[in-house]
Amino acid sequence: MLEIMFAPFIVKAVIAALLAAIVSAVIGSFTVLRGLSTMGASIAHASLAGALLAFAMKYEPLLGALALSMLFALITAYSSEHGGVRMDIVLGVSFGFSSALAALSLSLTREYTTTAYTYLIGEVLGVTDSDIILLSSYSLAVIIGVVLFYKEFKFITFDMEAAQAMGLNTSFYNYLMIMLIALTCVVELKIVGSILAVVFIVAPAASAYEFSHDMERMIGLSMLFAVASVLLGMLLSIVFNLPSSPTMGLVASAIYMVSIVLSTKRRICACRIPVIRTIREKTMR
Amino acid sequence: MRPVILLENVTVAYNGEPALMKISFKVEEPSFLVVAGPNGAGKTTLLKTLLGLLKPIEGKIVVLGINVLKNPLRVRKLVGYVPQRERIDPSMPMLVKDVVLMGRTTKTGLGRLFTKEDIEAAKKALELVGLEEHWDEAFSHLSGGQQQRVLIARALASNPKLLLLDEPLSGVDALSQNVILGVLREMADRGTGVVMVTHDLNPILELADYILLLNKRVVGFGRPNKILSREVLSEAYNRSVDIVRVGETCFVLGGDSHA
Repeated sequence: MLEIMFAPFIVKAVIAALLAAIVSAVIGSFTVLRGLSTMGASIAHASLAGALLAFAMKYEPLLGALALSMLFALITAYSSEHGGVRMDIVLGVSFGFSSALAALSLSLTREYTTTAYTYLIGEVLGVTDSDIILLSSYSLAVIIGVVLFYKEFKFITFDMEAAQAMGLNTSFYNYLMIMLIALTCVVELKIVGSILAVVFIVAPAASAYEFSHDMERMIGLSMLFAVASVLLGMLLSIVFNLPSSPTMGLVASAIYMVSIVLSTKRRICACRIPVIRTIREKTMR
Repeated sequence: MRPVILLENVTVAYNGEPALMKISFKVEEPSFLVVAGPNGAGKTTLLKTLLGLLKPIEGKIVVLGINVLKNPLRVRKLVGYVPQRERIDPSMPMLVKDVVLMGRTTKTGLGRLFTKEDIEAAKKALELVGLEEHWDEAFSHLSGGQQQRVLIARALASNPKLLLLDEPLSGVDALSQNVILGVLREMADRGTGVVMVTHDLNPILELADYILLLNKRVVGFGRPNKILSREVLSEAYNRSVDIVRVGETCFVLGGDSHA
C-alpha cells in the first residue's frame, strides 16, 4: 500500500492537485467574500466547452479552456457592469450556452465518453509532466496577480463603492479578479474537472471564513483545508479504490459541513455539545 | 478665491426620471456643508455627482478647482469618502487596521506594501476618532458606532482635501455621534472641506457652516441661521415642520422620522 503512494503517477497527481488546491484557496477567498461563486461555476463550464472545442479542432485543450473561460469571464463582468442586465440571467444564459457548446464539441469527436469524462470530473492520476508545467505557469500567474494587487483586491472586496469614490480603478481590478478566477478554473479543469472546479474554489475558502476575522488568516486556513482535502481525498481514493477527483471534492465539501457546525461565527445547536464547544473555544481567536 | 464646490444648473436623471433638477450652489472656502432633505431628495445622488460617478445631463461641476466632468479621477484622489454603513457587510474578515489602511491604497504604488508613512497616517487617523486601541481588532467585533468611526478614519487616512460623508450619523450611538461631529468640525477648521449628507438636522445645527436643503432641487442654501425657517423646512420635507428654540439652541421637529 505504501509503495503505491510513492509511485511516480501518484506523486505527479499529488503535486498537480496541491498546485490546484493552493491557487484555488487564494482566489477562492475573494470569490467567496465577493459572492462570485455562481460566476465561478459558470466560468468553469465555459472552460469545459473551450477544452472540448479545442480537442475537437486538434488544439491543446487547456489553451482552448483558457481562451473560452477568459472570454466568458470578460462578457459576464462587462454585462454586470454596463449591461443593466440582472446577473442571474447573464449567468444562466452563459451556463446554458457553454453547456450547449460543450455538447456540440463532443459530437464532433469520436472519443466521446473518455474525453467528456476527463474534463467533467477531472483526471488527476493522468497528469503528465507537460500538464504540470502548464498548470504551474497558470498557477504562478494567479498567485503573482493576487500578490501584486492584494491591497486593491482587498479594498474592492470590502467596499467597492468607497474604493471607486476614492480614485481606485475598480473596473480594472474587478475584471482582473474575474480573469484570475477564470484562470483558476482552467487549472482545476484537468485536476477535478469542470463540475468539481467550483467546489475546490469555494469550499475551502467558505470553510476558512467560518473561523476567520481577517483576510490573511482566511487565506491561510483556506490553503490548509484545500491541501487537507487533496491529501485525504487521494489517500481515501487509494485505500477504497475510488476515483480520486470526486473523492477530493467530497472531502472538501465534508470539511465545509464540519466547519459550519464548529464555526466560531455562528450560534448553532451543535455548540451546546461540550466536545464541540471545547473545539470552538480552542479555534476562536 | 477658488471655490471648493461649484455647481451650475446641474440636472441628473435616472432612466429619464430627474433625480436632481437645476442644482446651483457655491461653497467658497473649506467649510462644513450639510446636505439635508427627505428620502429620495437626491442627497446621495448629489454626492455621486460631485465625484463624477454619475454624469449629469446638463450643468457644470467644479470640485477643488477641477472640472469633474473632464477629470473625475483627479477629484476622487483628493476626496475621502464615507459610504452609508449599511452598504458594508460587517461580517467581512477584516481587521480595523486593514480597513483604515484602505484609505492609503491609492497613495501607495502597485504591488507595494504599505510604508511606515502609510501606517503612521492610518494610526493617526484612527487616533482622531478615538479608536487607536482597536488597531488590531476585528472590524466585525466593533459596535455600529465604532465601525462608522473606523470608516471615517479610513477616509481621513488618505489626507483628503474634501470629505464626503453619506449619512454618517445613521444608527450611531450618542458617544460616537459626538466624536464624529467633533472630528468633522476640526477637519473643517483645519481647511478640509466637509460635505455631510443627513436626514437629521438637529445634531449638526450648531456645527454646520452651510446647509443645503434639497428636494430634487435646491429648496434652500446658506448659513443655518439665515435659511432655517418653518416655511423653508416644510417645503423641503413636504410636510409641516416646526422649529423650537431653547435658549440659544434650536431644534427641528417633524422634518423626518429621525428628526
